[in-house]
Amino acid sequence: MQFKDQIDFVRQHISKNKLRVFMTVLAATMGTAFLIVLASVGFGIHDTITKEILSDRKVTEIQVYASEMSQEIADEFKKIDHVSAVVNRQEFNAQTETSFKNMKGNNGIIATDFIEEGKVGFKLAEGRLPENPNEVVVGSHFGQFLLTEEEANGEVEEGEEGFKGYEGNLVGEQFTVRLGDFNGDMFEKDELKLTIVGVAAPPARDWFTDQSIYTNASLIPTIEKIYKANTEVELDDHPDAMHLFYNNVMVYANNLENVKAITKTLKDQGHSVYSVTEELDQLDVFFFALKAGLIFVGTIAILISSIGIFNTMTMAVTERTREIGVMKAIGAKPQLIQRLFLMESAWIGILGTFLAIVISYGVSIIANFVLPIIVTAALGEEDLGGIQVKFSIIPWQLVVIASTISISVAMISGWRPARKATKIDVINALRTEL
Amino acid sequence: MITVKGLNHSFKIGKKGKEKHIPVLRDVNFDVNDGEIVSIVGKSGSGKSTLLHILAGFMAPESGEIKVNGIETSIFNETDNAEFRLNNYGFIFQNFQLMPGLNAFENVELPLKLKGIEKAERQEKVNTLMKYVGLTEVQDHYPNELSGGQQQRVSIARALITDPPIILADEPTGSLDSETEQEILLLIQSLNKNRGITFVIITHDDEVAQTANRVYTMHDGELKEGVVQHAI
Ligand SMILES: Nc1ncnc2c1ncn2[C@@H]1O[C@H](COP(=O)(O)OP(=O)(O)OP(=O)(O)O)[C@@H](O)[C@H]1O
Ligand SMILES: [Mg+2]
Repeated sequence: MQFKDQIDFVRQHISKNKLRVFMTVLAATMGTAFLIVLASVGFGIHDTITKEILSDRKVTEIQVYASEMSQEIADEFKKIDHVSAVVNRQEFNAQTETSFKNMKGNNGIIATDFIEEGKVGFKLAEGRLPENPNEVVVGSHFGQFLLTEEEANGEVEEGEEGFKGYEGNLVGEQFTVRLGDFNGDMFEKDELKLTIVGVAAPPARDWFTDQSIYTNASLIPTIEKIYKANTEVELDDHPDAMHLFYNNVMVYANNLENVKAITKTLKDQGHSVYSVTEELDQLDVFFFALKAGLIFVGTIAILISSIGIFNTMTMAVTERTREIGVMKAIGAKPQLIQRLFLMESAWIGILGTFLAIVISYGVSIIANFVLPIIVTAALGEEDLGGIQVKFSIIPWQLVVIASTISISVAMISGWRPARKATKIDVINALRTEL
Repeated sequence: MITVKGLNHSFKIGKKGKEKHIPVLRDVNFDVNDGEIVSIVGKSGSGKSTLLHILAGFMAPESGEIKVNGIETSIFNETDNAEFRLNNYGFIFQNFQLMPGLNAFENVELPLKLKGIEKAERQEKVNTLMKYVGLTEVQDHYPNELSGGQQQRVSIARALITDPPIILADEPTGSLDSETEQEILLLIQSLNKNRGITFVIITHDDEVAQTANRVYTMHDGELKEGVVQHAI
């Protein structure tokens, strides 16, 4: 029998008992949709946690420690496959003193490459990234930690919440930085004149403060020149800092999956590295278990719906005993009879699965839209702390897993009735009355 | 064409351990030649249908040998039997055995579908045959919308559609009135004459037996050639 005739045959049978088949498909649909929606919550939470709570940048970041680090080595890292950016933040190791208007501050200078920073999303609260050598971005707490002369000398009482600091506008303002040596002696001449073009976003962790001055790496030669011109203190004399700048290199993978491979490459090259993958691994194991658990529970729902398929198919076989007998008598092979019934139960499974996928996506979209509203209302807050919470995500893998389970279960539950059909005795079947 | 040698069969009835063996066929021997109409007569319960069922491969005999055109069919498994039936046999039953969900046309078409023949060819063949057996008018009718004679014509058409060399018929006119019986018998005779189809017809009807070239009589599971009057 040709395949299209088989399909025709099955279709004809199904259309003869529309209501019963419909109810069975409905049960299969509900079971499968339950599985998909349930598991989608696991996928949703996993995604929310990896994407939002560990910010994008942190997840793909690989920190490299090396005593002999330099810009040249950092540039080499860019050639590794799947590296999207290499940020080399060079921290000035000696003393500095900031003068902003009539206030003073103590801010570290971090020289970096803003093109690379831009690639991985240097987060600004306001303004833009520097483009010229004397332009800088300041940390989010830059203003807060500036002190007036009286405050610095302890002539004024500190209030409950500390000193007020500078609360005015920062972007566009100019300020100067005086450099000093490792012993804390400030140089008398050669101040750096800098312009603020942006303010960095606050650090993700609330208790962190950031009062750094982020400058372009092109300022480094200027700083080195000032240092050499003003002090006799040899750099090598200082035991902790061999260099005027301390290199802090971060390599960024283009996506999470590649972090591991890059980490390994860097380790193989003899660097000490740290990436968040170690922690993520544990998180992944946890979520893998969670998702597997949810899929397992959902599978039970599918198994329950399979009872319906078993029932429907058994009835179908019983009802058609005589027809099966006639088919066999005129030369239908047992294998064909079995295939026709398996196709019928598979069709129930496939249709049920298809409907379940459509319904699940609908439920998922509605849940993601409605649940945040309910949760925020319940918590009495404006939003969920700025976190983009996804309650339900249905990745294609979940669709594949659910479809496989659902269709296999449908076919397995249709298998016994189909076997029964092949075992039907022609003589007895021809005797049965309609 | 068909040679049956030393065929024995008995049914088991009753519970396991205490079952009784009821012999139904006892050392049955017979042959059917090419292009013949052979009929088997006998009392009810004498084992006629059982013989036909074994011949068709619906069940296996206890012992004995069946050869069809030199092929030993009694050793076939279920799948081989089905294949063999599809290609060599047509069946006509007393109660027609049409598929209730298929109309007359589709019922006749079914064996061609089983053979995997393309739709266009199927339709042409069925149309020709429907005309031949005079069913074109009612080809869209479902079995419950056909008279007994029409149903039997449909079942004969279904048996013929694959051009089998042999047709096995079990009481083909058993449910028909004498007028319709005549029509069917004429059809069988013309098929035999014009198409050279071999028929094995089981009947307990004299008139049917008379259309046959040769008659066998079944009596208590024993088969003898010729009409044995007291056995009918
Ligand atoms: N499945 C079975 N189990 C037990 N005994 C059976 C079975 N099938 C048939 N018999 C017995 O075998 C004998 C022969 O039956 P069969 O149907 O071959 O008779 P028949 O000659 O075709 O009769 P009829 O003319 O009434 O159709 C009968 O006595 C019947 O009771
Ligand atoms: Mg009989």
